[in-house]
Parts: sequence; structure tokens; C-alpha cells
Amino acid sequence: MIHPLAVALVIVTGALAVFGIASTVLGKPPGRPLVLAVGVVEALLVVQALIAAVRVFGGARPVETSTFLIYLVVSVCVLPFFLQFARAEPNRWGGTVIAVAAVAMGVVVLRLLVLWAGTSA
Amino acid sequence: MPDAAPRRRATATGPGRVLIAVYAIFALSATARAGVQLATKFHEAPLAYLLSAFSGVVYILATVGLARTGPSARRLAWTAVTIELVGVLVVGSLSVFDRVAFPSATVWSGYGAGYGWVPLVLPLLGLFWLYRTGRNGPEKAR
Repeated sequence: MIHPLAVALVIVTGALAVFGIASTVLGKPPGRPLVLAVGVVEALLVVQALIAAVRVFGGARPVETSTFLIYLVVSVCVLPFFLQFARAEPNRWGGTVIAVAAVAMGVVVLRLLVLWAGTSA
Repeated sequence: MPDAAPRRRATATGPGRVLIAVYAIFALSATARAGVQLATKFHEAPLAYLLSAFSGVVYILATVGLARTGPSARRLAWTAVTIELVGVLVVGSLSVFDRVAFPSATVWSGYGAGYGWVPLVLPLLGLFWLYRTGRNGPEKAR
């Protein structure tokens, strides 16, 4: 893991959640800007997962390595599904569906950070 | 745009989809957590870890019940969400009053305090939503 990237991800997932809730408040279905925002966050999550995976298989041992790896997989799998679900019924609530996923991914990144903090090289 | 719904409004529409999203997250996290606990340290706290797995199954069933449409899905959702409410209240109380029985955390420990109390609020919202969508008569879809 790269610490600044993880911290950035906590902030961006928070921002995505705000974006999603705002689109619900404004009564708009998830449009192109929201889809792009999800894409950017997802891309960052993928980059982080790749870096972390490379380092784990390179010998780094976070506390509870198996839990760490499961969190890594979850961190990249959830947003695409939720985006799909949010757009399947295009109404105002799609934004909040994305916000739920964004908050969850923020928590996942925080958990990753905590586990990584106890890593022995 | 409501479908030609037979009397009841489907649970998987409008704000119900947000509810399903939260349920799906909990289904995933509870199940994954229980999986790791059971696989790596089952002997440490068998009761807590089995409860963890049980809560995961309850969340999965609630998610499926809410996400699908029809009388049997609705029954499934009612049952799962009710069990969820009883579970969080019973396990929450036990974890507060009898710490020895629950040395290790489950989703429902401390009434879900470790998950921002969402496990306590979620079943109440779920029951409310099932009640609201279950009443007869056309509902205004937003």
C-alpha cells in the first residue's frame, strides 16, 4: 500500500458519497458525471489493490494477511455492481445507492490502512 | 414509472433500492468476516463466530427478499428482517450484560456499535419499508 494514495482514497470515496447524495437531493438520476466519478474512484482503487497485492506477494505481511487480501478484493468488486444497480432503475435514489457503496469502500480502505500499519516486512 | 404492479408496490423500487444496497453491504461484510473467523480461529470463540455466520445468512436472505418481487419474496423479507431485529437486540443485550459469552465481536455486539449502530437502525427501516409497501392500493412512485 502507498499511504498517501490510501488517504486520498478515503477522501475521494467521501466526496463520491457527497456527490451521490447531492444527486438524490436534486432529484436527478445518476448521469454521466456521476458515472465518470465512480470510474475515477474505481480506477484508483484498482491501482491501490495492484500495488498492495504486489507488495504482499513480494513478502510484506500485514496483520491478518488473509483478511487484508479479502478486503483488497472487496475494494475493487463492489462499486461496479452498485453502479449497475443504481442505473437499473434510473431515478433520484440511484445517487444514494452509489453513496452507500462509496462509504463502504471508504471504510474498507480505512481497514486496509489499519491492517497495513501492522505490517512486518 | 411504476410497473403494472398487482396492488402492492415492489420493495425494490425508489428508496427501497437504497435499503437493498445497505443490506447487500452488510450481507457481504458479515459473511466475509464470519468466513475468515471460522476458517482461521474457530476454536477461539465458536459461539460468537457461528453467530457471525448466522447474521451473515440473515442479511443475505433479507437482501434477496427485498430485492425480489412477489408474495414469497415479501414473506422471506419479513421473516429475515424480523429475525435480524431480534438478533441484534438479543445479541446486543447479551454482549453488554454477559461479556464472557461474547469475548469476540460479531456484527450485532453492542447493538451494532462497531458498525455505527447501522445494524440496529437497519431492521427498523426494513420493517417500516415492508409495512409501507405492503399496504394495498396504488402508491405514488417517485
